[in-house]
Amino acid sequence: MHATLHKLIAAVAKEMRVILRDREALLILFVMPVTFVLIMSLALQDAFSERAGIRFPLLIVDHDQGVIGERLMQHFGSDRAFNVTRLRADKGEAALPDTAQVQEDLRAGRYKFAFIVPAGASRAAARRMDQQLGLAPAGKPPATEVDIRLLADPTVRRDHRGLVISGLNRVLQGIESGMLLARYTQVTDRVRALGGPAGTAPRKPAKTLATFADITDAADSAAATSTPVPTSVQQNAPAWTLLAMFFLVIPLSVTLIKERQQGSLMRLQSMAVPPWVLLAGKTLPYFIINQIQVLLILLVGMYLLPRLGGDALHIGDAPGAIALLSMAASLAAIGYGLLVATFARTPEQATTFGATSVLIFAALGGVMVPKLVMPLALQQIANVSPLSWGLEGFLDIFVRAGGVREVLPEFLQLLAFAAACMTIAVLRFGHGLRHN
Amino acid sequence: MSDANIVEVTGLTKTYPGMARPAVDGIDLIIPQGRLFGLLGPNGAGKTTFLSMLCGLLAPGAGTLRVLGRDIRQHTQAVKRDLGLVPQDLALYPSLSARENLIFFGRIQGLRGATLRARVAECLAIAGLADVGERRADTFSGGLKRRLNLVIGLIHEPRLLVLDEPTVGIDPQSRHFIHETLRRLNREGMSIIYTTHYMEEAESLCDELAIIDHGKIIAQGSVDSLLQQHQDGAIEIRTQQAMPAALQEQVRTLPHTRAVAIDDHSLFLKSQQPESTLRATLTLLQQQHIGIASVSMGAIHLEEVFLALTGTRLRD
Repeated sequence: MHATLHKLIAAVAKEMRVILRDREALLILFVMPVTFVLIMSLALQDAFSERAGIRFPLLIVDHDQGVIGERLMQHFGSDRAFNVTRLRADKGEAALPDTAQVQEDLRAGRYKFAFIVPAGASRAAARRMDQQLGLAPAGKPPATEVDIRLLADPTVRRDHRGLVISGLNRVLQGIESGMLLARYTQVTDRVRALGGPAGTAPRKPAKTLATFADITDAADSAAATSTPVPTSVQQNAPAWTLLAMFFLVIPLSVTLIKERQQGSLMRLQSMAVPPWVLLAGKTLPYFIINQIQVLLILLVGMYLLPRLGGDALHIGDAPGAIALLSMAASLAAIGYGLLVATFARTPEQATTFGATSVLIFAALGGVMVPKLVMPLALQQIANVSPLSWGLEGFLDIFVRAGGVREVLPEFLQLLAFAAACMTIAVLRFGHGLRHN
Repeated sequence: MSDANIVEVTGLTKTYPGMARPAVDGIDLIIPQGRLFGLLGPNGAGKTTFLSMLCGLLAPGAGTLRVLGRDIRQHTQAVKRDLGLVPQDLALYPSLSARENLIFFGRIQGLRGATLRARVAECLAIAGLADVGERRADTFSGGLKRRLNLVIGLIHEPRLLVLDEPTVGIDPQSRHFIHETLRRLNREGMSIIYTTHYMEEAESLCDELAIIDHGKIIAQGSVDSLLQQHQDGAIEIRTQQAMPAALQEQVRTLPHTRAVAIDDHSLFLKSQQPESTLRATLTLLQQQHIGIASVSMGAIHLEEVFLALTGTRLRD
């Protein structure tokens, strides 16, 4: 066993040396993903995170044309964080968009938020107020809470939605308070004018006035995603790391095919060394390289990116889960590399097929375009990509504060993929040996 | 098996799945220890399949194959420890230096420490690479690479060295160097099995030969005995002018004669009545006014023996 271990170390050391002397392989394995993570994280930062300095396009669809629309316009129009468009029927708009059209505009990215003020909302609010104050004429049906709708772009982060909801609620409370003060003044003035005693007031209102329906994230952002949205770096760092990990398919398969073609594999097989040592000697270095890739990109995201003006990568609190996922993704990539090596006859075939198939896996898996902005049908198809499993696992940890238990499904999917690829590769490898 | 035999083969057969004919078809062969043994055959004759089984890369189909005194099926790893393979291709790592290549293959063969260092130095010296040991192999000329390819097979001091066309595509100096190295190793006691397509190389280097075709051994013996067996009735004529096709055809149809090899300027014939065949051939050449450059009877080279046995039909 000691002698076998010595041979394994020799095989790993040789392979590492060969890889480190291959500048093209190093470019693919290290420089490419770091460059991509930096460029994509910075370029897509605004699209993912809506930072200070960025103005959210906000649409107010004002069917009411009353005080509510005015106050919303005053409040959000004076806030530099918003670029407000107010659509009013009395301003010559042919027909105001309905809810479905507004949602479509949000999905298309034309607006980040939309408020829909229903027709007669201001009058309905006044009636509701009078009813709560006991000033409404007898026999009138009870007025319901006025429902001002908030819709949000599905990609807007939950915390930003929360800020808008809070702002909207504040405006509505202000309107409510203003209306209450106005009614009190109106009533007391009228009583005084009629010669009544000073201090006469309307009936004591309910403990909590409820003129407007509560605006909550769950109830009113129906179009918004229910899952937290990652920041640019949370999306791009694991995404491009996974692509880089799977890109080892090219150097791994090419080196295996070259060894087969050049006869070194035959020479090694003619020596007293178990086949598993040869296979492990070939794959272990790539496993190590994958782990270095993950570590390097995490460090770049955590420490270098903020220095370049980007968001820092927050990796959650589950380093064990990251390690598990990283190992499983590496095994999946190695398994796929072996599979490509056994099917391709030439390095050119391996390079072309390996790169193309990995790019398809990446495109499907949400590496280039986040899955959450894909149509639902494509999101379902994306689930066949091992890069999608890996990415979802990392997002579980980084965005959804998941741990080992949460990433277990993705971990097992990646392991199963690795096992299937390796089994087919070893069977074909053995078959090829018997027939060459 | 006798200890004096390094390879002993009885009824060895190998048929690949889906193939109608066996690649190796009932070979019986004994190679005594200490020989420099040549294995010749046209492309597709079964040489590579035979060598693959010999080196433990391919399981024999039927028959027995004992190498270095052990049954290859039962003692594959033990046989591999005492066997060195020098493949036809340059089976080395171009981005590693000559020394690094030797260290790697030495460690894979189980060498370590001072033993490994000594063997690496020795192999570099054998190949004449001591001065360029630190240079990457991909900066070497074809000859240097071939020499490195050879000594990698020697790193663990094998008792049996198997070489598969080790001198393809190199200059005469490097070929001579390799031949001299092999002769010296053989004198020092190493058994060598050597395959080549260069007949003059086999003739000058090997002390015993086997010719394999269609998976069978069709001739075996010392170079001298093979030449002697085939020299009777051999006629070789070289001409000054090119012979027209019609004349070549007339020669082919001479009675008691078999044309082994004919081209525009040479005839190599085997005849049961060589004197009458020679006379008839010279008459035909004279009638066509073809000048004669040389005539020889009974003198033969290994290439003629090879062509006589395997034919002149092109192989895949």
